[in-house]
Amino acid sequence: MEPGLLKSADWPLLIDLYFFLGGLAGGAFVIATSANLLDAYRYRHIVRAGYYIAFLAILPGPLFLIVDLGRPTRFLHMLMVSKPSAEIGMNAITIGPFHLKFFSPMNAGAWALLGFSLFAFLAALDVFLEHRGGRSMSALRIIAGVIGGFFGCFIAAYPGVLLGATARPLFISAHWLGALFLVVGASTGGAAIALILSLLGAQARESLSRLMRFTVFALVLQLAALLFFIVTVQMAGSAGIGRALAQLLSGPYGLTFWLGAVVVGIVAPLVLQFTGGARKAAPGMTALVSALILMGGFLVKYVIIAAGQAT
Amino acid sequence: MARTLAMFTDVSLCIGCRACQVACKQWNQLAPEEPEWTGSYQNHPHFTDKSFRLVRFFEETDAQGQMKQWHMMSDVCKHCAQAGCLEACPTGAIYRTEYGTVNINQDICNGCRYCVSACPFGVVAFNHDTGTATKCTFCNDRIHNGLGPACAKACPTESIRFGFRDDLAVKAKQRVEELHKLGYKDAQLYGEDKDGPLGGLNAFFLLLGKPSVYGLPEKPKLPQRNVIIDSLLSIGSALLVGLGALMAFRDRNGRGGA
Repeated sequence: MEPGLLKSADWPLLIDLYFFLGGLAGGAFVIATSANLLDAYRYRHIVRAGYYIAFLAILPGPLFLIVDLGRPTRFLHMLMVSKPSAEIGMNAITIGPFHLKFFSPMNAGAWALLGFSLFAFLAALDVFLEHRGGRSMSALRIIAGVIGGFFGCFIAAYPGVLLGATARPLFISAHWLGALFLVVGASTGGAAIALILSLLGAQARESLSRLMRFTVFALVLQLAALLFFIVTVQMAGSAGIGRALAQLLSGPYGLTFWLGAVVVGIVAPLVLQFTGGARKAAPGMTALVSALILMGGFLVKYVIIAAGQAT
Repeated sequence: MARTLAMFTDVSLCIGCRACQVACKQWNQLAPEEPEWTGSYQNHPHFTDKSFRLVRFFEETDAQGQMKQWHMMSDVCKHCAQAGCLEACPTGAIYRTEYGTVNINQDICNGCRYCVSACPFGVVAFNHDTGTATKCTFCNDRIHNGLGPACAKACPTESIRFGFRDDLAVKAKQRVEELHKLGYKDAQLYGEDKDGPLGGLNAFFLLLGKPSVYGLPEKPKLPQRNVIIDSLLSIGSALLVGLGALMAFRDRNGRGGA
């Protein structure tokens, strides 16, 4: 692919921020649902924090997306137009004014955002009512948790698939971006809950250590997905793709990638967690590890998108 | 669907006069732009939101760096049979017309710019004034009134020809054979083959060298072909994450689920 021939959408930082918060929301939601299903009482701190975080993190998402549009008032066109055209793509479904395009991750993502927001609201409402001394409608929470969990996975992963469906050299042969974004969502979602719980103090210590076990597992997956991403792009072989990868690994984005995404985001938290010994259970240490994971989770998405859009 | 309309650009006849570029700007009422010097006669290195036609100039050199041939080529939106922009568009603003061309409905486009990054040829451009994506429409208003696109009408050498795709394909193949006989060994068609990349291009070209000489990708790929495999890998990782959550929160003393 000839460099310079292709154009870039030039999505601003706001979109990276949405991808980060959306992933975090999806991850936190799935963790809360898992904890709720396995032992709702024992893990109540995780469940409550997870559903709150998911709701609050997804809340600004639509706003960020709408502000970025060239014509913000037409945001509803993502889902519906008054008179859809006949041929708008393969496997496109049009029902009345609504349209669903399976091969347009942005369209599918807009629908998923709608669905996830609804269930994130319901789950957060249920834990809120319970917290206020009312009774949890546990059946509603389970249903909202499970259906919302599927939407949560979708919300975390689809930005990666969306990037993979562009002609940008760094993305078009990557294949692993959706998987990477999903596991980053899981690790940052876990880290966000852990940060809140560690600030709450001792009452949630056992929940916290189990949560960190999951978060470390997600971090290992994150390292693997990142590796698969680089190897797959490397093997794609064409000169243009090689140049784009070089921009990410050793060019102007190299420092952010290695220091931010890899060292701060993955290696340092793993080292601290595995070598921390008795200190690793201390709330201060957990807070530090969580903060590192959150920073790295943002940087890995940011730097890949920036390098991919620039070359 | 009506018969597919197409544009055939014969690079061997192009004299680089840029009448097509001017005619396009006039008919489509595209605003003037600051010139961008590229070191050759080419003005604007790429398509812009105000230049839907672009005459490209290329200097082909041999191994010693000596000038071998000066190429000029009038480039345009390819109106791909499998169009990356059309598939990417989340609003359905980009649609296929009854003539097989690809258009952007300016009343629907909300300016998300996904199509800009999804075009394998870098054709679609974002217009900051209207907040929408724009590109060549094959002069949709003209072709629906039997006039043919402005660029093809203006071309003084018939380098740009417009008509039914099947008719043009026959003529294009004849022209390649002619050129082969005249000694242009590398003359070849780009995008004519309906079984080729992107299901064939409705604006196809006769090139005098390899596509790479003209800055064109040898095998352009429909980006949306990635969606299935990327999604499957995502689902796989989601299953692993779910398994991890199950293992982490499972009660090993027998109480609770799992």
